[in-house]
Formats: sequence, structure tokens, C-alpha cells
Amino acid sequence: MNRRTRNNILDSYRPNLIALEDNLIAAVFPLMKIYPAEFCIRQAMQEGAIQADSLLIETSSGTMALGLAIVAKWSGHRLTIVTDSACDSALRRRLEDLGTEVEIVPAPAANGGYQRARIDRLRQIRDENKNCWWVNQYDNPANSGSYGVLAGQLLDMLGRIDCLIGSVGSGGSVCGTSNYLRALFPELHVVGVDTFGSVLFGHPDRPRQLRGLGNSILPRNLEHAMFDEAHWVSAAEAFTATRLLHRKTTLFRGATSGAVWMVAQRWAAEHPNARVVCLFPDDGARYVETIYNDDYLSNNQLLLPHLPQAPRKVLHPLDASDSWSSINWNRRSYQEVMGGEATVGATV
Amino acid sequence: MGLRLRPATGLATAHYGELFQGQIEDETGQQRRCLVSLPCDSLFSRAVFRPQSTADLTIKPERKHKAERAVRLTLERFNATYIGGDVTIFSNIEEGKGCGSSTADCVAVVRAVTIALGERLSEEDVARIVVKAETSSDNTMFRRAVLFAFREGEVVEDFARPLPYLAALGIDLLPSEVVDTLNYAPAAYCWREIQHFQALVGALRKAIRTGDRELLGRVSSASATINERFLPKPLFHEVKRLACHVGALGVAAAHSGTVVSILLDPRDNRLEYKFDLLQAKLREFGIHRTFRFQTHDHSLQIATV
Repeated sequence: MNRRTRNNILDSYRPNLIALEDNLIAAVFPLMKIYPAEFCIRQAMQEGAIQADSLLIETSSGTMALGLAIVAKWSGHRLTIVTDSACDSALRRRLEDLGTEVEIVPAPAANGGYQRARIDRLRQIRDENKNCWWVNQYDNPANSGSYGVLAGQLLDMLGRIDCLIGSVGSGGSVCGTSNYLRALFPELHVVGVDTFGSVLFGHPDRPRQLRGLGNSILPRNLEHAMFDEAHWVSAAEAFTATRLLHRKTTLFRGATSGAVWMVAQRWAAEHPNARVVCLFPDDGARYVETIYNDDYLSNNQLLLPHLPQAPRKVLHPLDASDSWSSINWNRRSYQEVMGGEATVGATV
Repeated sequence: MGLRLRPATGLATAHYGELFQGQIEDETGQQRRCLVSLPCDSLFSRAVFRPQSTADLTIKPERKHKAERAVRLTLERFNATYIGGDVTIFSNIEEGKGCGSSTADCVAVVRAVTIALGERLSEEDVARIVVKAETSSDNTMFRRAVLFAFREGEVVEDFARPLPYLAALGIDLLPSEVVDTLNYAPAAYCWREIQHFQALVGALRKAIRTGDRELLGRVSSASATINERFLPKPLFHEVKRLACHVGALGVAAAHSGTVVSILLDPRDNRLEYKFDLLQAKLREFGIHRTFRFQTHDHSLQIATV
């Protein structure tokens, strides 16, 4: 693909900055993961880690896979995505139409569930292919590193920002963007949005209905000491918030946007003199059958009559449970909050 | 085109550090090294060109070879190489400090020659001639703020309006040392620094567009801090702390020199007090070579003699 076309298309993924309140701006992305996908691949080419005929591999059931599939099309690379049954068929069709090889692991591993099974399959593919490169969004510093461009867009539009609120999965978008913003505004308040059963902010790993944020492993891209606050949001709350966001603003988004919106609305209301930016990473297209389907929600007890007004504030992560909770993480390390060492990184 | 051969004077100001220096991706996707200079209104070069219809050219002081090249390039530009004369340059800019003394000399002579010939040149054309004369340049020939590719003499991005004017304290951190600009290895920025610069340029656009001195000061400090890795200056961090302590806007550092400036809001009603305090504190560190200036561009005042 010629460079100009590619640049124009990449440009078209820029977020729209929408003032939802006087002091609350949402960065609304068509597909936020295109930034780390593009930069990870570009850096790998720059560093010689991949060549024109290399096979790119990654495990993802969501938007990172889509971002990579698009960028691989631009760069002409082969891509294999290892996923599990969580990958919806609509996404799978899009990936395959772009030439991506989608591999679905049939069963969870005895120890470590689907996450382990996907990583094991990744390892197999890597062993079978000499010229193969694992994108590794969780640990690859080019993921969080790619957000300087976004930080520049936010600064260009808004100037001083007082608070950044975003969902955390790999840690890339929130830690990356904050890192660049804090070079100018070290006082920037950073709020991460997670879900119950995600290990990111100290909970034990549990199957999660809320996808797109949270994780079963601690990624290297997550720098805990960057966070001032962490929030946990339940799947029901996130889905309900996403529907409410749609009805209130007409913004058609995915569950991560709803979760972030719920937290950001409250934070912005409590700090009327602060300029708050929240990140809405992806749109609602993949959720038509689920979040935007009342039957699905009520059959799965995922529809709430109303959202909580405020989070339950806890002093320790393990005191948070089941419904919207938050902690003043206060830029501490994982160890300082949880005590004891944690295993970090997705090892293959 | 009536060719007037009348003596003419050109003025150009120097800079005292950069508000921004770094590497970004331009709109065509290319990596560009660029900067935004901090203009200094009290340091300038003034060139008087007395043209004659002989091809001999003399320049005073004789050592100003780059300026001599600039004279010849300007005469060439206007197909007037049959004209010679004498050029006298007066400059109060110290050479070898990274303040743009040679750029100011070159811009001054280009302006003098242009006026003497009864011609006009755009700021971009002046920049092109100057960078040819001296291989690298700053952007002090522009009255509006631009992001300037200093080795190519090209505007990477035009901010379309002037910088908000600032007050500053210029500080020479290495008064007994000089730097040879040409032998300066370009900084090998890592990818993270390049991403930082992308963010800083976004902030720079906003700061210039809205006249936000506070934001501009923060950009300048962040840029200076990144570049400190490549040309460390003694007491740089102490100067930064001092700037913070008095509530200054930030610091600007020379990308290929020994000077830094502490940036202040010229409308600050405690400005004099802050200057006094800074100079006193710096003397405690053994730094005596400091001076107060503003960033207004006085090169508008050019006259024919």
C-alpha cells in the first residue's frame, strides 16, 4: 500500500474529542488499538526484529487483533491470531477477510485456563516457524510507548489536562498517555478502570464477563506507580452504563467506554474545576447481540435498574467486591499496596 | 528593475536557547530534526553594506567567513555578482555560545545587501540563503513562530503567529568554553524521546495559538530536559529548581551551546524582584554571567543610510 494512502487511513483513526460536560472531554476512538498495533510493528521493522516475510503472532480476542490485522495488511505481513471461543464471529470474519489466520484453542488448559492454552499454542507456533515474531502487547514497551502521538493530539486541542481516566487491560493506553502528559504536567491525576476478577489491581483471577479490560496476568506495560486511583466496575454496571451512554449522548460504544464513562462522570462532577479527559477505546459494533440486546442482558442478570451514584471507597483492593469500588492507589507500587512480590509478564 | 546602489543596514537578533528542539514526524511521515528558537532582543548583529560597481568584496571583521559567503550568495540570488563593496558587521553576540551569532551576522548581511539592491526577500528565502552559508541555522529571521529544520533551512510547520513575548534571564553556564556548532554530532534520539517530542509539539501548537505562556514554559523545560542527556550543562538541574522556586514559566537551553534562559512572564508585577532573586541565587552558585532580556523582535527597525 502506498505510504500516503496508509498515512491517510491511519489519520482517519484519530479520536474525536467530545465535551460531554463543561469539564469532561471524551476521546472517542474508532479503534484505539490501531496506535499500539501500528507502532509495535513499525518499531519491530525498524529494529530488524521482523522482515518482509516474517509471520506475526499474537493472542487477543478483541480490538488488538483487529488493529494488528489492519496494520499487517498495510505492511504486507502474515498474521496469526490465537484466540478462544470468546472471539465473536463478526470479529473473526473481519480478521479473516483481511487475511489473518485465526486459530481457536479448543479447550482451556488444566492449569491457567484459556489464557494458558492460548500462550501454549503461541509457543508451539513460534517453535514451528523460524521467522516468527510475537507482538506481545502486554509486555512490549512499544505498546505504551506509542501513545505520544495521542498525548500530542490531546494537548493540541485542550492544553492543560488535570485528570486522565481510562480502562486498563495491558496498561498501554493509560500508562502510555499519562507518561507523555506528565512530562508537562507531573501533577496529572490518573485513574484506572478495572473489573472484578482481574489481577491488575490486586484481585484474584476469576472468569470475567466484562471483556476489553482487566487481565489474568500482570503485564509489564502496567506501571502501578503511575496510578492515583483504581476503580473496579462489574460487568452489569459497565453494560448498563454503556446503554445509558448511548441513550444520553447517542455515542454507540463498547463496554469499556461505558465503564470509563460511569467513573469519569462522577469524578468530573466531584472536581468541577478540573479538566478531565476520558478514553473511549472502541465502538459498539461488536456488542449488538449482547450489550444492546435487552433479552441477553436480562437473561444473564446484566441489566441494572440504575447505576450506583458513587463507588464504595476501600483501603485495600481485597475489600472491594461485586459492585463499583475504588481505592486511592496514590502512585504506589503493586508491592506497596499488596505486599509480597508479584509475577509480572506474559511468558512464552 | 532600477538598481539602486546605496548603502544599507540590516539588523538581526540572536537567540538565547531554544524553546523546543527535537525530532518529529512531519505530515509526509518523514523524521525531521527541528527547533523553535528563543529570540533575544538585546543581542544583535548590524551589517552595513556599501556597494560599489566593482566585484571586490571586503568584509570587516575578516574572520566572519560565513557572513561573507552569505553576501556572495545574496548577490548571486539577484544576479548581481558584478557588484562588490565593503561590509562592516557590528555584533554584541558572543561567538561559540550557541546563541546564533553567525546566523545573526548572515541574516544581517542578507538584509543589508537585499535593501541595497532595492530588492525584497521572504523570510523563507533569507533562511535558505543563510543555511547555505553556514550549514545550520536558527529561525530568528522569522517574525512569526515556526518549527524550523535547522540543517535544511526549511520550515517544517508554520505556527502562523508570533510567539507570545517573554521576559528571560540569560545564563552562561560555561563562560570560559565555546562550542563549534558544525562539529556538533546530531543527537541520536531514542524512539521514546521522539514520541515525547510528538506530544510536546502538540502542546507547542496550543501554546502559540492561544498565547499560553505557562504552557510554553512547560514545553520548553520538558524539551531542555530531554536534550540535557546529549549536551549536559553544569548546574542545569539547579537552574531548573531555581526557576521552579521563583515561579518562573520554565527554562530554555541552547541545543548546541553553553547557555540557558529562565523564562518569566513579562506582565508579572513581581518581575524585577524575581530577576533580582534569581541573579542573587545564581551568584551563590558562582554564576555571574547573567543578563535580563525580552523576546521582542527589533529587527523591524532597519534603515538605509
